[in-house]
Amino acid sequence: MRNMRLTSEKRSVFSCFVAHSLLAAVLLTAMTGCGQGRLAAPTPDREAAAVLRQSLSSEGGDSGEGGAAAASTGTGWGTLTGRFIFVGTPPGAKQLVVDKDMAVCTAEGRKLFDQSLQVDEASGGLANVVVFARKAGRVKEREFSAEPLVFDQKACEFLAPVFAARVGQAIDVRNSDPIGHNTNVSGTSFNQLIPAGNGTLFTPASETGMPTMVTCNIHPWMKAYAVFRKDGYVAVSSSDGSFTIPDLPAGEEIEFQVWHERSTGPNGALAAEEPELDWSSKGRFTVTLTADETTDIGSIEIQASALGG
Amino acid sequence: MNRHSFFVCESLQRVMQNASPALACTLLLCGLLMSATGCGKTPAASFRPNMVEAAKQRLTPDQEAQVATILEAMFGTPDDPVALPETGLDVSKLRLAAGPVHSDIVGRKNGLFREHCSHCHGVTGDGMGPTAAFLNPYPRDYRPGWFKFKSTERADKPTHADLVTILNNGINGTSMPSFALLGEAKVDALVEYVKYLSMRGEAELSLMRYYFELDDEDEGKLPETREFLVEEILLPVAERWQEAEDAIIDVPEMPEVDLQESIALGKELFYGNKANCVKCHGVTGLGDGQANDYDDWNKVVKQWSDEVLSAHDASTSEMSREEKAEHRAWLARSDKALAGDALDPRTIQPRNLRQAIYRGGRRPLDLYYRIHAGINGAPMPAAAGTLTPDEIWHIVNYVRSLPYEYDGELGADRSMVARDRL
Repeated sequence: MRNMRLTSEKRSVFSCFVAHSLLAAVLLTAMTGCGQGRLAAPTPDREAAAVLRQSLSSEGGDSGEGGAAAASTGTGWGTLTGRFIFVGTPPGAKQLVVDKDMAVCTAEGRKLFDQSLQVDEASGGLANVVVFARKAGRVKEREFSAEPLVFDQKACEFLAPVFAARVGQAIDVRNSDPIGHNTNVSGTSFNQLIPAGNGTLFTPASETGMPTMVTCNIHPWMKAYAVFRKDGYVAVSSSDGSFTIPDLPAGEEIEFQVWHERSTGPNGALAAEEPELDWSSKGRFTVTLTADETTDIGSIEIQASALGG
Repeated sequence: MNRHSFFVCESLQRVMQNASPALACTLLLCGLLMSATGCGKTPAASFRPNMVEAAKQRLTPDQEAQVATILEAMFGTPDDPVALPETGLDVSKLRLAAGPVHSDIVGRKNGLFREHCSHCHGVTGDGMGPTAAFLNPYPRDYRPGWFKFKSTERADKPTHADLVTILNNGINGTSMPSFALLGEAKVDALVEYVKYLSMRGEAELSLMRYYFELDDEDEGKLPETREFLVEEILLPVAERWQEAEDAIIDVPEMPEVDLQESIALGKELFYGNKANCVKCHGVTGLGDGQANDYDDWNKVVKQWSDEVLSAHDASTSEMSREEKAEHRAWLARSDKALAGDALDPRTIQPRNLRQAIYRGGRRPLDLYYRIHAGINGAPMPAAAGTLTPDEIWHIVNYVRSLPYEYDGELGADRSMVARDRL
């Protein structure tokens, strides 16, 4: 404590020291950055990585455990059907900003609206919900339809806001407008010029996983979704909210994935309160079908909050 | 005491003898703080995980760590790259390009990527090096595996020669310079390393996205088997790189018509409903037809930041206390990932065709490729299939005439004036 009695010279040195040390600290923190609030990166486990690398480089060193997934026991084929019902008051659709080719897109004062939420007024049926089988133990052999499926656009709107097809099925991407469009299917590298009144064939070569966005770069308000599945076990709910998937393998547990454009769940997975179907937070439910029968999972209620209120 | 701090201390002493005590204090303190905060050995370089995708997929810290460990097993580190035989990559080339800048035992320069590329493209090849934010266009992020300027069909990878051309010529109209002076061997090594970073980035994206595909019994952990990691994750990416050589666009000869006639036909297509170039490149060809679109790299950030913004506004009244806390933590992580691991999304400008600056090369052949396959990753669509090869050649000829077109020939609602050329 005696040291506190400083001479005036020493005192000024001391206060200077404090001021400068603060300055130095600030400068240095600024220089070294303090990470600038960047997320901390996870640290790889060096030893585990070295061991794993060994097992990856030796052919057959690790044959994997999984093996045949979900051995199928049944023989016949069944059909799954159900309906999606929207609970609550659907918010009004937003009007889209149309600033190009108005003579065609908004002819005679026509207005374009966001189509992401389509609820049937009378029944509350929720349209454009995608349902697909995650994996099926057996797949029924079916021919591709000889006529290509049609994916059309007219008056600057995609006629199918959500479109499903089997991988390998030819799709005629059409343009029924008197103006040119381009159709850009994200994730597939398909982005093709479609001249007025013309069309081009597109055959999806791989699965999309969850539905992928389809846009027209010339008219940025145009938006649709496409989903391609190898086994073709996929359906899009119609305007009354109903869907049907035929030719599914009977006698085995099949897990289905459910998706909706507006869903707030991960990757668009749709949430529902259906404990009997084991409905999970990833928007999946499980059903076992009976041969030559149609299994109806009934009406699935979708709360407004699951679609962003 | 290492040599470095010894010098610091010695010079400090000398300064203290001469300068005012206050200044000396400051310097001393700086020295102390510097030795405390590091300034010693540079930490080993590490690959930055794709934090945007990790936040988007809502990965847990354990899952992030699992991806980092798997990637280290499959690809090694920036100082010590590894390439499994399935990648088809040449490890000796990777070694030349990887690591810190240094000369090896025979005096050969190593660490080429960090010397020449990483300040823009980042050590990870994520296009987020220290200079990236100041450049327009942003440096390429290799991780999604999309490349614009190539001789292959739209969906295919570039060939090795395509990337060599980019490195040798640079990209006109961007900050990408020519590296031709490095010589063939070094450019070759760098191309190999770019492919390596791209494969690593694509594998990382597949791994992170796969967590959603897991079944409940997997308990949120990816299988660490050869079957899954090599056959399901690595091979689909590696094979597409190896197939690129077979996907080169077949270009027929330019039709034998008078050049003026071909230009006139091209002009008709350019403005017509069949090719529709005018919609984006504008009635004057100045690239002012479409101003509010994004390329695929920026679109990823834009769409996700929009999603996060609306999640901020969404009502949480129906959530339980734990759900609310989880939601808030995820929002905070997402905000941080967007701020620290992504560049502000920018709209893409359709090319101004009056400038005679062609990013993917100025040869007629290069323009043919651009129109035939479109530009992968950019809004520019492919014309192949809807236009005949002859029609594509006519458009090539018209586009090549645009920088020199006479005034009054524009047929536009806007006359060509000198300042529009710039």
